Amino acid sequence: MSLRLRLSLILGSAFIVIWALAAAWMLRDLRQQMMFSLDQRLVASARMVAGLVDQLPQPLSARDEHAHFSADQLSVPDGMACQVSSLRGEILASNHAHDGTMDTRRSGFLDQVIDGVSWRTFSYEHGDVRITTADRHEEREALNRSILLAASAPVLMALLGSLGLLWVGLGKGLAPLHHMRDALRRRRADSVEPLQVAGLPSELQPLLETQNQLFRRIAQTLERERRLTDDAAHELRSPLTAVKTHLQVARMTEGAVREQALAHAEEGADRLHRTLEQLLLLARVEGSLSFDDGVQCSAAQVVRQAVQDAGGDPRRIQLRLPEEAAQVYLSMPAPLAVAALRNLLDNALRHAGSESPVELALQVSDDRAAFVVRDQGPGIAPEDLEHLTERFWRHGQSGGCGLGLAIVQAIAQRCAAQLEFDSRDDGLRVRLDIPARLG
Amino acid sequence: MHVLLCEDDDLIASGIAAGLIAQGLVVDRVATASAARAMLQAARFDVMILDLGLPDEDGLKLLRRLRQQGETLPVLVLTARDAVTDRVEGLQAGADDYLLKPFDLRELAARLHTLLRRVAGRAVNVIEHGPLRYDPSRCQASLAGQAVDLSRREQALLQALLQNPGRVLSSEQLKDCVYGFGDEVESNALNVHIHHLRRKLGNGIVETVRGLGYRLGPAQAPGAPAP
Repeated sequence: MSLRLRLSLILGSAFIVIWALAAAWMLRDLRQQMMFSLDQRLVASARMVAGLVDQLPQPLSARDEHAHFSADQLSVPDGMACQVSSLRGEILASNHAHDGTMDTRRSGFLDQVIDGVSWRTFSYEHGDVRITTADRHEEREALNRSILLAASAPVLMALLGSLGLLWVGLGKGLAPLHHMRDALRRRRADSVEPLQVAGLPSELQPLLETQNQLFRRIAQTLERERRLTDDAAHELRSPLTAVKTHLQVARMTEGAVREQALAHAEEGADRLHRTLEQLLLLARVEGSLSFDDGVQCSAAQVVRQAVQDAGGDPRRIQLRLPEEAAQVYLSMPAPLAVAALRNLLDNALRHAGSESPVELALQVSDDRAAFVVRDQGPGIAPEDLEHLTERFWRHGQSGGCGLGLAIVQAIAQRCAAQLEFDSRDDGLRVRLDIPARLG
Repeated sequence: MHVLLCEDDDLIASGIAAGLIAQGLVVDRVATASAARAMLQAARFDVMILDLGLPDEDGLKLLRRLRQQGETLPVLVLTARDAVTDRVEGLQAGADDYLLKPFDLRELAARLHTLLRRVAGRAVNVIEHGPLRYDPSRCQASLAGQAVDLSRREQALLQALLQNPGRVLSSEQLKDCVYGFGDEVESNALNVHIHHLRRKLGNGIVETVRGLGYRLGPAQAPGAPAP
């Protein structure tokens, strides 16, 4: 059901109920007033007849018993009956021929049925006569009905008019929603362009803005994903190109050149292998697979394994481990801790130049253990620091695949560890702070 | 054919260079955009192979700049990025051809020959000059239907002359065509190659223009009467 129809039904029925109640109230009041006025007319007519009777030259009782006055003579309004009787009940005068008699013994108003017709009567004692005036109920009701009809027609028209205006007004009021719906309908399913709708009311503006922010974020995410796939393709195709090219060279040549080409092809294959391993590790770290094999590894064991795995000459790594290193247990699965530390060492060895030493220190506090890897390379420019953990971001001609620090960052995020970089003139310090406990 | 190879990945660059040299091309290798610019200033090249991911400057930017400076050298772009927009951008920046990594070395050489042929305005790869036929992509020469065996340097020399018929080429220009930038060249090496060419294709094939250089002359089978 459309919003317009829904609102129209709710508001329309509320309108109808309220107007009906108000009309019922008004009509009831009107009827009461009407009846009161008609009663007043009976009273006024009776008093007028009393005045006429007073002015008669001789009293009515002395006249012929069955003398009848016409209505004209008594000058009472049409349709109203009037009867003058003695206090004993004899009818002295009447403008109405009828067979039955009115009950006139009591003074005041009375509803009675005479000859099958319902009357409203008013009796009034004046001197030695009783004057009674009467209205037919039927006539009173007819009068009442015509007045009710006259009063209710405008009310009904006004109600219908209001409902019509309500329908049109709701349509106008909801127009911005329609514009927005049309704008959304016109979009292609895969479009991430911001939505442009002019003239939106202030209630809808936040909706549009949130929507557009979402579109922008999606566009950025898509762009990042596209770039990542592109970068991944580049990183995989480059070593593959090297392998393929050198194999073709080997086929074309002979002797030393051929041997050289084969060696190069193998080098390319190694690079491809490394890149693939790193990509897989990154995907696994970012995924939900568990690495925990239940084996508790001390910080010293992690360091030993990482130094062994790191590329380059392990003799360049200077260890500064505190005595309790063998008793510190990291709350991080051992394979991840080793991978993270190995990548940090790998990076340091690569960037520090081929000769300079790399220092690995372990700092232990109550519930944290921090590995600090320090190289004596040229450091990293401040504007490049934020790119360090980006996937496939490479610093100069480092020869790495650009995934090492991205993996460390992913591992840190997964295991509530912290990765910090501090670049100074005398080299880059990388600190990996891991929750740990003393065992 | 003298090729300038601009590729920062050392492993790939050495493979391409070795492969092209094995197919009879002369290759000079640079790893940065600035080195490429310096090389273009220093020597004459027939074609350039450009990798887009250079460390000091984006390859497309370099290409655009070169084209703005009026450099007409045919350029083949190498890239590992295969998005259509990348390719379109490359061609718009002034690339003449586009090859996606990984590629086949023979295809690369064939495309380079095609580029050169297109620059020379020929419809087929084979160059005919009187009774002499030379196919640069196969490195095959024949004289009056008889195959002629030419060394790599002789081929490069012949190709340079065939591609500039009627023009006088200085010995420096010829050396640029025959040798790479880093090659050790002995002072009379060019004369030795010219001598060999004359012996195989007839004395008239290389005309000496005194004080200026050399020019392509008529080909003539050895033993045939001089015209």
